[in-house]
Amino acid sequence: MDGTVAGRRYDAALNLLDRQIIDPDGGLVANVDDLELTERDDGRLVVTALLVGPGVLGPRLGGRLGHWTVAVWRRLCAEENPKPGRIDAADISRIDSGVHLAARPDDRGVDGLERWVDEHLIGRIPGATHEPE
Amino acid sequence: MKKLFAVALGVLTAIGGFVDIGDLVTNAVVGSRFGMSLAWVVVVGVLGICVFAEMSGRVAAVSGRATFDLVRERLGPRVGLANLFASMAVTLLTFTAEIGGVALALELATSVNELLWVPVAGVAIWLVLWRVRFSEVENIFGLMGLALIVFAVAVWQLGPDWGDLWAQASSPKPPAEENWGTYSYYAVALFGAAMTPYEVFFFSSGGVEEHWKTDDLATMRSNVFVGFPLGGMLSLAIAASTTLVLLPVGVQVDTLGQVALPVAVALGKIGLAVALLGFFAATFGAACETGLSVGYSLAQYFGWQWGKFVRPRQAARFHLVLLLSTILGIAVLLTTVDPIKVTEYSVVFSAVALPLTYFPILVVANDPDYMGEHVNGRLANGLGTVYLVLVLVASMAAIPLMLVTKAGQ
Repeated sequence: MDGTVAGRRYDAALNLLDRQIIDPDGGLVANVDDLELTERDDGRLVVTALLVGPGVLGPRLGGRLGHWTVAVWRRLCAEENPKPGRIDAADISRIDSGVHLAARPDDRGVDGLERWVDEHLIGRIPGATHEPE
Repeated sequence: MKKLFAVALGVLTAIGGFVDIGDLVTNAVVGSRFGMSLAWVVVVGVLGICVFAEMSGRVAAVSGRATFDLVRERLGPRVGLANLFASMAVTLLTFTAEIGGVALALELATSVNELLWVPVAGVAIWLVLWRVRFSEVENIFGLMGLALIVFAVAVWQLGPDWGDLWAQASSPKPPAEENWGTYSYYAVALFGAAMTPYEVFFFSSGGVEEHWKTDDLATMRSNVFVGFPLGGMLSLAIAASTTLVLLPVGVQVDTLGQVALPVAVALGKIGLAVALLGFFAATFGAACETGLSVGYSLAQYFGWQWGKFVRPRQAARFHLVLLLSTILGIAVLLTTVDPIKVTEYSVVFSAVALPLTYFPILVVANDPDYMGEHVNGRLANGLGTVYLVLVLVASMAAIPLMLVTKAGQ
């Protein structure tokens, strides 16, 4: 499962799984909950995307808790067959203690909950947009 | 000059911010029952928090990642989640105790019942978390917390027999009217109070909030190795003050007012007023720190945006957690549970949860992949390993001791 990004080899399980994903502005996006692997013609597996959200974290938790996590997530999603948040591996610019992206992800599956909480709750409290510094 | 000022400010806030409701209550109780015979635990605990705070601060400065971020990476999502639940439960309990402490300090100052102050204190804490800058919270409450130096002044004014205090401190055994069971139970509680896990979540996340880089390592170390031990001296002064005033007359501490009593005896009304200011600052500051720590740990596990370095709208889930935890803390206190009891249980459960926090930090601080040339040296690893053993012993002993001694009775 070794792959190459920017000329360096990485161990997918060690260097990618459960790492913080960071957008180009330094914003924290999500943790890498799972990886999308695709088989190449020569039979080797390559990481083609980072997957995020309860839909893919659940199976990794395993057991009844994992099962419930996925079930609750499915029930809360509007679509019939919801897909987990997906960030294309081509968008990764750098990997160090976190996974840095070259572009801000626009997949609603990645930050749906954040946007919902912002729109319906936190964004409505006075002072929610004041500058931090 | 500016650099010197920053270092001095950091050290002063580290001293003033060291003591929280757990330290206040546990040290006062221990002094009134065991004299100075448990002082060695405070010394051991303070060195322990220094060792691990330095490690977690170094990890944050070098890798830019805070503690819980790394807990999940190292332990995997499943064990990480179990760790998250346990740590969050303990931190929430501590948060509740701190809000209760603020309310009790206000009750002592105004004679208005603590239960009426609980919602006011909770809302005020939330407003600070919502609106006030991170560095301002740290500086204001850290400096105000220096008022607790009044306990050291009180001990000096009481004109103790220093030889006798030293004799008690150098003979680590229970006094005649106590037994080894309660002695060990309070040893574990004091250890838990000194090494509370939220302190490292907060310290490492605070490092990320303030954008520490490797250049800041020297400042961070001076805060830890000068500020924390001096803060620990305040803990010892509190224990010494109740040793001198309450132990001889056989009064056991079970209210916050009794913690302040020795100061009132030694220094009168002015001293008492300063002590109450210190209580307020220490508990309010720690309430902000524990509240933030709940948000930090949850957000870092899931990879959400967190922190006060962005606008609240940009960290909406993090701020929702802060809001809900404050409501939960207020609700628990409004059941009329005694905040002092909540505090006593929070320090014991902190002791139980210690290895969950300290083990992953030790592992990551040794990982050259994150740390490069800043990995643990021999001294840090030696001390870290010794403390890991101590922490495991305290963690395993805590609940059996609590059951055997009926929570220290």
